[in-house]
Amino acid sequence: MHIPDGFLDAKTWITTSVIGAAAVAYSLQKTKLAVDSKQVPKVALIGSFIFAAQMLNFPIAGATSGHFLGGTLASILFGPWIGSIVMTAVLIIQAFVFQDGGITVLGANILCTAFIGSFTGYGIYKAGMKLLTGRGRSVITFAAAWFSIVAASAGVALLLAWSGTFEPGTALKAMVGWHMLIGLGEGLITTLVAGYLIERNIPLAKEVTLP
Amino acid sequence: MKETRLTARKGKWLALLVVTLLAAGLLSPWASSHPDGLERVAEDYGFLNQAESVHELAPMPDYEVAGIPWTALRVGLAGIIGAIVMLAVLWAVMRVITGRRRGRDDGTDHGRGTGASSESAQ
Repeated sequence: MHIPDGFLDAKTWITTSVIGAAAVAYSLQKTKLAVDSKQVPKVALIGSFIFAAQMLNFPIAGATSGHFLGGTLASILFGPWIGSIVMTAVLIIQAFVFQDGGITVLGANILCTAFIGSFTGYGIYKAGMKLLTGRGRSVITFAAAWFSIVAASAGVALLLAWSGTFEPGTALKAMVGWHMLIGLGEGLITTLVAGYLIERNIPLAKEVTLP
Repeated sequence: MKETRLTARKGKWLALLVVTLLAAGLLSPWASSHPDGLERVAEDYGFLNQAESVHELAPMPDYEVAGIPWTALRVGLAGIIGAIVMLAVLWAVMRVITGRRRGRDDGTDHGRGTGASSESAQ
C-alpha cells in the first residue's frame, strides 16, 4: 500500500505535489540525456517487473506484510534519473488504474518511493562500489536496497508527522521499525535480480585486438 | 573503464519477461493479504479510517478485474494486464524521449549509456 488520500493534510499534499511535479520534470530532462534508444525495451521491462513484484506481498512478523519497491534496482541498472522516472510511472499507473495510492498524495508517494528510494539506494551502491573497488557487489547491493526502504519509510513518517497525524518520533519509530524488516525482502530481490543482469565489464577479445 | 555493465544476453532479458508475467499472473493471487508496513502503522495508531479515495474511476481497484467469479483469475488477470500496460507505457515514454533526442543531435554519436548500463558493441 502506498499513502492513500486522506492521510496527509492540505498543506502537506499541496507542498509535496508541487515539489514532486518539479522533481519529475527535472528528472525527465536528465533522463533525456541519459537514456540510449537501445535501452528502451530493457527500461520498460524493468518497470513491468517492478510492478509485478510489488504485487507480491510477503509475510513478516506480527500478521503484517511487506512488498518490494524497486527504486534501488532500477537505479543501479540504469542510473537514478531513469530509475526515478521508472518508479514514477509505476506509481502513476498504480494510482489511476488500480486505486493503489491516492491522487492528492501522488506527489508525496513519488518523492518518497521514486526519489528518496532511488537516490538513497544508488548513492550507497556507488559509494560502496568505489570504497570496496568493486568487491562484494552483492553485499553492497543488499545494503543499498535495505537502506533505500528505511529512508523512504522515514520520508513517509515525517510527512505523516508534518500532517499532524502523530508525533515525529513515534512516526519514525513505527514506520522505520517495520521497514527495517521489509527492507530485508527488498535487499534479497534487488541482489538476486541485479546479480543476474549485471556482469563484469571484460572487453571482448575482438575489441582488444582492434587497432 | 566502467567495471560493470548490463548483460547483453537476450535470453536473460527474455527470462525476466517470463518471470514478470508468472509473478503478475500466477503468484499475485497468493500474495500475503496481511496489512503492509504503512497499513499496520495506520491501524496501530488509529488513523487507517482517515483513508479515502478521491478517484473512484479506477478500472481495476485493488488489483482485481470485476465480474469474474474466481479470485485467483480476478487478481491474476489484473496482474497480467497491469504488467503489459506498464511495459507499453514506459516503452512509449522512453521512445518519445529518445526520439526527441535523436532529432536534435542527428548524425552524431547517440552516446553510450550511463551507470552500469553501457552495452558491449556487438
